[in-house]
Amino acid sequence: MRLKDKLPLSYLLFTSRGRINRLTYWTVSAFIWSTFYVLHTLLNDFIGEGATYILYPLLLVSLVATATKRLHDINRSGYWLLIVLIPVLGALWLIYWLGFKKGDNRANRFGTIPNEAADYLKNDDGSLIPHLKTQERIINDVTHLNPVVVADVFRPTSTEELQEKVRTTTGPVSVGGGRFSMGGQTASPHSLHIDMRGLNQVIHFSKAERIIKVQTGIRWCDIQRFIDPHDLSIKIMQTYANFTVGGALSVNCHGRYMGHGPLILSVRSVEVLLADGSLVYASRTENPDLFFGTIGCYNGLGIIVTAELDLEENLAVRRVYKKLPYTDYSSFFIDTIRDNPEAVFHNGDMYPPAFTNMRAVTWVKTTEKPTVKTRLMPLRESYPLERYFMWAFTETMLGKWRREHVVDPLLYLTTPIHWRNYEAGYDVAELEPRSRTKRTYVLQEYFVPVRHFEVFARKMSEIFNRYNVNVINVSVRHALPDQGSYLAWAREEVFAFVVYYKQRTNDVAKNAVAIWTRELIDAVLSVEGAYYLPYQAHATAGQFHQAYPNARKLFALKKKLDPDFRFHNILWDTYYQPDNN
Amino acid sequence: MLRLPILTVVMVLLAVVLYLRKGRQTLTIPAGKGCVVPNDWFAANPHPMTPADHVRPADQTFLTYPEWFLVHSPAEIADYAKNHTTTTFPYMSHVRQLWQSYGIVYDQIKATFPFNTGYHVMIWVIGVSTTVEYAMKALYETVVGRLTNPAHGCVVTDEDKFNAQFTQDYVDFIRELPWYEFDFTSRISRLFSETSLWGPHFIRKCERKYMLLTELVVKAGYGYLIKLGTKAAYDEALLTTAVVVDKAPATLPSKTKLLKTYPDESALLLLPRYEAFNPAASALAQHGVTFREIAGNNSALLLTVLSPENWHPDRPDFRVVFTQPVLTKPGLKRVALVTTVGRLNKTIRYVQEQHVTIEHVYDY
Ligand SMILES: Cc1cc2nc3c(=O)[nH]c(=O)nc-3n(C[C@H](O)[C@H](O)[C@H](O)COP(=O)(O)OP(=O)(O)OC[C@H]3O[C@@H](n4cnc5c(N)ncnc54)[C@H](O)[C@@H]3O)c2cc1C
Repeated sequence: MRLKDKLPLSYLLFTSRGRINRLTYWTVSAFIWSTFYVLHTLLNDFIGEGATYILYPLLLVSLVATATKRLHDINRSGYWLLIVLIPVLGALWLIYWLGFKKGDNRANRFGTIPNEAADYLKNDDGSLIPHLKTQERIINDVTHLNPVVVADVFRPTSTEELQEKVRTTTGPVSVGGGRFSMGGQTASPHSLHIDMRGLNQVIHFSKAERIIKVQTGIRWCDIQRFIDPHDLSIKIMQTYANFTVGGALSVNCHGRYMGHGPLILSVRSVEVLLADGSLVYASRTENPDLFFGTIGCYNGLGIIVTAELDLEENLAVRRVYKKLPYTDYSSFFIDTIRDNPEAVFHNGDMYPPAFTNMRAVTWVKTTEKPTVKTRLMPLRESYPLERYFMWAFTETMLGKWRREHVVDPLLYLTTPIHWRNYEAGYDVAELEPRSRTKRTYVLQEYFVPVRHFEVFARKMSEIFNRYNVNVINVSVRHALPDQGSYLAWAREEVFAFVVYYKQRTNDVAKNAVAIWTRELIDAVLSVEGAYYLPYQAHATAGQFHQAYPNARKLFALKKKLDPDFRFHNILWDTYYQPDNN
Repeated sequence: MLRLPILTVVMVLLAVVLYLRKGRQTLTIPAGKGCVVPNDWFAANPHPMTPADHVRPADQTFLTYPEWFLVHSPAEIADYAKNHTTTTFPYMSHVRQLWQSYGIVYDQIKATFPFNTGYHVMIWVIGVSTTVEYAMKALYETVVGRLTNPAHGCVVTDEDKFNAQFTQDYVDFIRELPWYEFDFTSRISRLFSETSLWGPHFIRKCERKYMLLTELVVKAGYGYLIKLGTKAAYDEALLTTAVVVDKAPATLPSKTKLLKTYPDESALLLLPRYEAFNPAASALAQHGVTFREIAGNNSALLLTVLSPENWHPDRPDFRVVFTQPVLTKPGLKRVALVTTVGRLNKTIRYVQEQHVTIEHVYDY
């Protein structure tokens, strides 16, 4: 939950700080007046006329407070309320200002744009353990399903500081970036947790060469803000821009880009800090073992400190779509999208619960004017509509049917045109539920060789329906192969099935998820595919090694470069040295 | 703040429910469901003796009621303002009475007459403007006026006296002429010349000046606009009502003109329209005159009377359409009666025998 959601209503009604937009003002005014009417009537009818006078101070204060906030929004101080003392004209002005005049479209002396978040959603710095005065902290990820007690949290702000720390300490180390991975990949019990988000500088940038070198604690959104004025865009990243470059490199992420594949395809070189404290440069030609053993390899060999990445032109893209049965999808994709130089982003959404209908969405290059005002995604404080839909799709009868046949058709009536940076700038906040205590949203991903698309789709649908999994969405993306990384998930050309589902947080539910996940992994292995590692580690060791046949080579390399097994996280604790725990 | 939209919806619904529950019962009481007028009272007059340019549509006797309510209502306010500040006047109940009675009179005619679009539009315009005006006043008086109102709501400031006078003058004016002809502008300067700047109840004085000034300015402006609009949309109204009687009395009531006498002794008279129609018609009735046509019609005719609460008339000459309590005068009610042109004289005489005041005769 964001700050604004936590504020009580009284903050809005009885303090004059900050700004509110027109919609909030109208809503809160309706609230104030209707409440006043109701209370006035009740007091008058049941206690007596005199009792109603207690309402007046409350009424007055809330009217003044909310009006002041609205005046702030148009960059005027609350004293302008006195203008109402001028008969007629003053009142008319005030009505126009409060109810109709658009707020400043930038931050002013009274605060930021209402409803606009100051920054992308972030995970905390590690929460304190109640009643305990040690350095220990609880490190958790975005799902709140994986709390881990770590010995200490270290937040370096320079490479030297980090290097020094690793050199002068001996115990286990875990590394966290944005901590949006979902299964304990960023922490290990009693380790020294290194929070990379303080290492977030751009080290080198060349517009002509379309290259940028950054410290890996930097987030994609920070890079976007840096390169957007130069009309450049990140070549490969995820759809959401909250993630750090280090976290994205370590999982070897992918986006919805056409003609691209895993992130590694856009990396020129990295600098890796090894367990002994040495900093090593690695690229496809120099120290390739280290290059392929760190990218996509979950902090097994060392900490990626810097990375040199390719950039691309920031184009305008227009959305087009087609609804089709899943049996037609791969031929449609191969014939019209795969080699189409105009296609920039593509994904195919499969509609639960039947998974037989799909909506193929492609963003194509265009020279038309974008339909959005900003070049980068504006951030919002809250996403009430998104939250409502998410709730309706997952909790109401026929919710999924309505989504396919009512909501989506409406949402797809328009033809938006965005910038490439804009379309890769989503904020994970839009997916955040109000609370993750009882239910939480989780991701999984399966990589299926292109030729086996239909077979896997059928198996997946059968498993989801048999286990009654509350699937919100299955989004299909495409990736060209890269065999380099030791934990490469696209050893041939694949479709990635990104599964977003809702689960309860009790132990029974967690177990059920583990069971169907293993079945789904078997299904993907049966078509020579792989599953994605940044999510819950439900796979058995056998499944892991079948999906990642080169893992043993990586383990050997880890033994050599990290002989004392300093770099820990759930993957290494589960599959590398399970008895070590 | 997440809960704001939900809470708002809940509170608004609650407020609406409370509002609808409140004045539902007793503000306007229809005499029956739907149309209570006997069918044959609506029979049209096929060959009026009245000259064509004096003939008006028969359904207008009902449709003029909402318009006239907007005279009765200010009259009640003016009456009230003599002894109380208008801060405590039940504006919203009048809004309800307006729309409720409009519904009832429309019920009487809707099966017989085609929909009179122009007239309904006019009623909607004035009805909505009045609703807005009264709602704003009610809101303002509840939120601000109430806080400065002197104890017991007595008229103690010059400003409240000014208001009483202005309200009375305004009512007297609109009984004869359209409201937008009223000279609001000159009242603005009078507001300041006829009230003292300083004095006891200083806050009340300032607050009333603010409120009266606002009212006068807004009405002057709105009146100006409506005047332009009305000139464009409607013809100039006739200020007389032509009446055919069985026999003209020897001495005609004042403001009444004899236009023509027919061989059978019946006569065509020209009576004043609107407010002054009632006294003229009553005088004729006292002379034993029987009406044959009013504005070319011999069918149903509406009139309202102000009677004690316990008056429950039951006569073949007329039917009760609805009653409305006069809210600021407990014990008094307005009764809307429907009769026919031919029975008007008997109805008038009966009502007068009962010492009940005729408020208005709706002369189409
Ligand atoms: C809503 C949502 C949508 C997603 N969509 C996609 C998608 O479209 N495509 C996709 O590929 N993935 C997707 N993911 C997965 C995401 O890419 C990974 O979880 C990614 O690791 C998140 O980055 P992070 O900065 O939060 O990394 P973290 O979760 O902090 O770290 C991930 C791993 O990287 C390691 N690590 C972090 N920084 C470094 C470093 N500097 N050096 C060495 N190791 C390091 C950590 O130890 C950990 O093992 C999505 C996740 C979420 C929550």
